[in-house]
Amino acid sequence: MHGVKRVRESPEAAAAKKLREQSKIKEYLALNDDVLSKKASDDWSREAFNLTTRILQINPEFYTAWNYRRNILLQGIFPASSPEEINDLLTEDLSMTTAALKMHPKVYWIWNHRRWCLENVPDGPGTEGDVNGWRKTNWDREMFVVDKMLDADSRNFHAWGYRRYVLANMPVARPETAELAYTTRKIESNFSNFSAWHQRTKILSSLWGSGKLDYSKSKENGELIIIFSEFELVRNAMYTDPNDQSVWIYHRWLMGAGDDKDVLEHEIAIIQELLDEQSDSKWCMESLVHYKRLLLKNHHSSVDASSLTSDCRRLLGDLRVLDPARRRRYEEIEKQLL
Amino acid sequence: MSTELLTSLHVSYIQNLGKSTDDLAYHLTAHLRLNAIYWGLTALFTMGHPEALDKAGVISFVESCWDERAGGFGAHPGHDAHIHSTLSAVQILVMYDALDRLDVPRVAKFILSLQQPSGVFAGDSFGEIDTRFSYIAVNALSLLGCLDQLDQNKTVDYIKQCRNFDGGFGSSVGAESHAGQVFPCVAALTILDRLDAVDGETLAWWLAERQLPNGGLNGRPEKLEDVCYSFWVLSALAVLNKVSWIDSGKLTSFILSAQDPEKGGISDRPGNMVDVFHTQFGVAALSILGYPGLVDLDPVYCMPAPIIEAKGLRKGWKGLERRVAATV
Repeated sequence: MHGVKRVRESPEAAAAKKLREQSKIKEYLALNDDVLSKKASDDWSREAFNLTTRILQINPEFYTAWNYRRNILLQGIFPASSPEEINDLLTEDLSMTTAALKMHPKVYWIWNHRRWCLENVPDGPGTEGDVNGWRKTNWDREMFVVDKMLDADSRNFHAWGYRRYVLANMPVARPETAELAYTTRKIESNFSNFSAWHQRTKILSSLWGSGKLDYSKSKENGELIIIFSEFELVRNAMYTDPNDQSVWIYHRWLMGAGDDKDVLEHEIAIIQELLDEQSDSKWCMESLVHYKRLLLKNHHSSVDASSLTSDCRRLLGDLRVLDPARRRRYEEIEKQLL
Repeated sequence: MSTELLTSLHVSYIQNLGKSTDDLAYHLTAHLRLNAIYWGLTALFTMGHPEALDKAGVISFVESCWDERAGGFGAHPGHDAHIHSTLSAVQILVMYDALDRLDVPRVAKFILSLQQPSGVFAGDSFGEIDTRFSYIAVNALSLLGCLDQLDQNKTVDYIKQCRNFDGGFGSSVGAESHAGQVFPCVAALTILDRLDAVDGETLAWWLAERQLPNGGLNGRPEKLEDVCYSFWVLSALAVLNKVSWIDSGKLTSFILSAQDPEKGGISDRPGNMVDVFHTQFGVAALSILGYPGLVDLDPVYCMPAPIIEAKGLRKGWKGLERRVAATV
């Protein structure tokens, strides 16, 4: 079981624990049988609904009980409820699952149930004319819940996936620049948070694709100026902890296929500078090999190929010694050098 | 700490799992029962003990999990059909050469009904989508000989959209690469003969970087190691013929150190509670690493390789050569 320490109990202690568990097992199985037999007889009553609440609080992974709960709502309770009552029921389920998530932040079924709740919020309140009023309230609250979940565990991939889902579906879209700022905050509080760097690749791709941010460079007085401050953020992270792979992987995304020779050479110089300070930095060496190979591949006619090739050979030789676990990979890359 | 695989302890650990009815945890995990039987059985086959469970009893349990309304299998009698438990049922029946117990057209229909307009599969009628479910559909339909009924281009298109710049794959479009999603995405593409959709060099680099100094593998950058990632990562490396890109000796030692030397079973990391899931994926990884005495495990289907070969489904993966046990 993930993350649960193995403890050695004496045979007496184990037997005593088993004995204590027997009444719990009996109670659980009785509840379980009750739920499943009501389900088998298509019982869509309030009483059955309350039973699913009880069993899901004990066992939130019991997916059949979640399905049954939704079917009770759809078949039995919603048809007899006003839109306002339906909205209240869904809001209650959202708060019930917020509590459950705090205890079980990685249970797929809980996250799924929230999606279903959000997607079933009815039109309303209506009298004021805003048919999206209830939806706005619920989805806005959802962003707040996701923020809290990511404060508790900034790498929880359920929470990140759910965040993207909420952002894509909320009735009033949040500007992507706000999400970009969110990833900046997350990254600045922990450069090691690759989930936030990943999210940034998606947001920036979208912003660049839609022309909202300008990924371009200009030359002034012969000096290369990268307009966008992205490389600056990356450099801070590299210098803060050169051994953390998150930023290096992100840097590889930023560099892309290496079509721009100036950018490649600029970044190679920066990384070389860092390597001069940190002579045993694997990620400096690994990245230098990668970008020098891109220079060789994409800009062969305008670079000093033999010196780049011998740089790569030397770096790969150092990497084999420094990082023997991945020695075979370095050897294979070396064989590909001409 | 053990330095060799405690096969007989693991066999008895798996045999005893079904007898723990006086454990509350046994009942609280009923929703995983059919999956657990598949994990246990696959580990037993891989360790060369295919007879260790009561075959007739297991087959009749599988049959009792049939959900007549949905036309698929739940994880336990009375539980709703789900694509995951349905695959486990199919895999168990294939391992026991008992597919004749199955209404194949109905099961295929259930699986196919879960494909969404985007090409991805849902887990059940409530529509949770995940590339794991796409793999499950492809795997099961392949085992059932029904792949021709699948819209393969649509299936591949969705998986391709989940590929990230780092070569890895996520659970849905936009999601972060995760070794636990790389395995199903790469394996599904392998079964469909669509490895052109994989950036092999970038992915193998990213996968090789999952190994940590203690030999264990993590699932994402800057996360902790876990025995189950050994299999997720190795499966894709075997398909790419790059198992040699990590230190197999250190990974083998890490997995062996996560065994319970008293009661058998393997845990997520040394010193933790064992479970059948990590036992299976630990043994599966050791098989790919060429551990002496184990049966080859097919990393694409995650089933014993001889069974997949006999069905003519073997793809071009490559594990490490099986070592001969050192004589003591």
